[in-house]
Amino acid sequence: MPSAEFDDRAQRQLERLQSTLNRAFRSVPFHQERLRRNGIRPEQVESMADLALMPFMTRRHLAENYPYGLFAVPLRDIVRIHTAPGTTLNPSVSGYTAQDLRHWTAMVSESLAAAGVGEEDILQISLDPGLNDWGRDYKLGAEALGASVIPNSLLSLEKQLMVLRDYRTTTLITTPAYAVQLADHVNALSIDLNRLALKTLILVGEPVPPEVRRRLEDELQVVTWLHYGLSEVPGPALAYECPQHAGLHVHDEHFLIEIVEPDTGRPLPPGAEGELVLTSLTIRAMPLIRFRTGDRARRLEGPCDCGKSAERIAWLTGRTDNLMVLRGVKIDRGQVMAQIRAALGFEPDLYRIFVNTETHRSLLEVWIGVDDRIFSDEIKMLEKRMADIGRRLYESLGVPVTVRLKERDTFAGAGQ
Amino acid sequence: MLRIRNLKCFYGGIMAIKGVSLSVRSGEMVCLIGANGAGKSTLLAAVSGLLATWKGDIDFKERPLKGLDPPAIVARGISLVPEGRLIFPTLSVMDNLHLGAYTLCRRGRRSEADEILESVLALFPVLAERRHQAAGTLSGGEQQMLAIGRALMAKPVLLLLDEPSMGLAPMLVEKILAALVALREQGLTLLLVEQNARAALSIADRGYVFETGTIVLEGPAADLLDDVEVKRAYLGKDYAGFTEGRQ
Repeated sequence: MPSAEFDDRAQRQLERLQSTLNRAFRSVPFHQERLRRNGIRPEQVESMADLALMPFMTRRHLAENYPYGLFAVPLRDIVRIHTAPGTTLNPSVSGYTAQDLRHWTAMVSESLAAAGVGEEDILQISLDPGLNDWGRDYKLGAEALGASVIPNSLLSLEKQLMVLRDYRTTTLITTPAYAVQLADHVNALSIDLNRLALKTLILVGEPVPPEVRRRLEDELQVVTWLHYGLSEVPGPALAYECPQHAGLHVHDEHFLIEIVEPDTGRPLPPGAEGELVLTSLTIRAMPLIRFRTGDRARRLEGPCDCGKSAERIAWLTGRTDNLMVLRGVKIDRGQVMAQIRAALGFEPDLYRIFVNTETHRSLLEVWIGVDDRIFSDEIKMLEKRMADIGRRLYESLGVPVTVRLKERDTFAGAGQ
Repeated sequence: MLRIRNLKCFYGGIMAIKGVSLSVRSGEMVCLIGANGAGKSTLLAAVSGLLATWKGDIDFKERPLKGLDPPAIVARGISLVPEGRLIFPTLSVMDNLHLGAYTLCRRGRRSEADEILESVLALFPVLAERRHQAAGTLSGGEQQMLAIGRALMAKPVLLLLDEPSMGLAPMLVEKILAALVALREQGLTLLLVEQNARAALSIADRGYVFETGTIVLEGPAADLLDDVEVKRAYLGKDYAGFTEGRQ
C-alpha cells in the first residue's frame, strides 16, 4: 500500500476515533463513569495503540443500559429504533440518526456491489425474525443499488422456494443454516436448477466452513459471498467479500478492528487468531467503543489482489464466549433459562438447551426433565406449559424452537 | 498538506486545546466551527507560529513546523489572515500589500511579487481603486479584503483565515466568501475559522466542530450543514418547543 494512502487513512481513522471518544464521553454517562473510574480521559488516546487504554464494552452493557442508556444523541435526533433479541431478558435496542442510516445504506450497498449486485438483479431477503433488522438494512442498501428487492417476510420454506423460482430471484441473502435447508429441499424435490435464476448467494449471520460453501455452490450452482455483521447492535455487512474471496474487507472508514486474546483482552499482533473487537468511527446515535463481539477472527496482512487497501479479516468458526448461534441469532443459555423460569414459575432441575442441526432445519431445542412440579395428569395441561415456553422463546429470539418434556433418565445428569 | 496530530495548546497552565487531530489536503477548503473559546483561533495561532507553547505534531508538506518562528512558517508557505484584520491603518493600501510581500522581496523575488500584486488587485478591484488611500479609511469589508490581499502577497500555498466575516454586513460576507471560493478554484488550500457556521460550511469541502478544546464532529461540509446537532448548536435552529418532551 502506498505510504501516503496509508497515512491518509490512519490520520482519518485517528481523527474519527478521537471525535467519537469525545462525543461518547460528553454525552453518555455510561462512558463518562467508566473512564472516570479508570482515571482515563479521551485525549489520552493519541494513537490506535492507545485505544487499548479504553475499557471493553460487552453485551451485558447493552442489557444493563436498556433501552436508551447508550445513546449519545437526544432522542429527537433518532430517526429509527431497532430491537433485536438480546442475550438477557432485555432485548438489545439500537438507534440510528439520519446520518447513521445513510452510512449503513452506503456500507450495505458497497458490500452488495462487491458481489456484483446491481439494478439487473432481483434480490430476495430470507432471514429469521431474530434478524429482521438486518432485513431492513439489506433492503435499503439493495434499493440504493437499484436492485428489485423482495423484502424479508415470514414465509415457509416452500413459499420462499416458490418466490425464488417464480420471481426469478438472482440474489438471495440468508444464513448458511437456511441455505443448507433450502439446498436440501431443492434436492429432495428434484427441482431443476435451470428453472432457478439464482446466481448469487450472500451468506450472513454465522461463519461458514469451506466444505459447506462448496456444497452450497455445487448444489445450487451459485457463487457464495460471506458478510460479517452484528445482530444485536447496528447492523449487517460491517465486512464483506470482494471477488477474490480472500477474507472479508472491513469498512474501515466506519469501524476500527482489534483482535484480542479472549481470556486476557490483550491486543494480538496481525495474523494471530483471537476475538474480534469493534470500535465505531462514524456512528452518532450509539457509538461502540471496544465492543467484544465474541466472534473469532484473524487479521489478514498485505493488500488484497482486488486492489482495495481496506483491512481484511478471516472470520473463523466457533466463538470466544458461551453463546450459541442459531441461524445468525446469538443465544445465551441463561436468557433461555430466564424465559423457562418465567413460564413455569421455577427453574427445572433437569434440562438441556442446545442448537439442533440434525433435523432438516436447525432449531433451538429445549429438553425439560419431568418432575412433580411439572407433571400433570392432564396431557393438555402439559402441552400448554411446553407451548407457553416455546412461544416465549420464539417471541424473544425469533428463531424456531422445540420444547420437549423428557423422562428423567434421559439426562445423564443435571445440566445444560 | 497540513496534518495535525494530538495538538495540545497551553496558555499558562490552562490547556486550551486538548489533543486535537485534523488534516487539510492539498486544494481543500476546510473550516473549523464552534463556539467562542472552543480553541479554533488558538489552533491557527499554533500553526502560524504565533503560539509557541504547544505539544503534539504539526506537519506541513510532510515536514514538522515545531520550533519555527512566524517568518519561517510564512517562508514555508503558510499565511495567516488574523482576526480583526490587523492592517496598518496609517499606511496606504499599496504599502500594506507590499509589506505582505516582505519575505518574498527579501529573497529577491520582486518580479514574482509584482505578478501576485496584479492578481490580488484583480481579485479585489476595489483595492486598486483605493490604492493610495490610507488603509484605516477603508470600510470594514475593504479592510478584510486588504488583509486577505496582504496575506496572499507572501504567495502562500496554505491560507489560514480567522473569522474573515466578523463584523461584516451580509452582502460583504458574500463577497469575501466568493473571493475565498475563487482562491480555492485557483488551487489555493484554505483553513478557515468561522463563527458564521452556515456561511463557512456552505463553501467549505470539509469541516470540524470544536467544543471546549476538542473536536466532537468532523465530516463533509454538506453533511455537517445538514446535521441536526450542528443546526441546533451553531446554525440557530430552535427545537426546544418541539422536542424537549420526547427526552
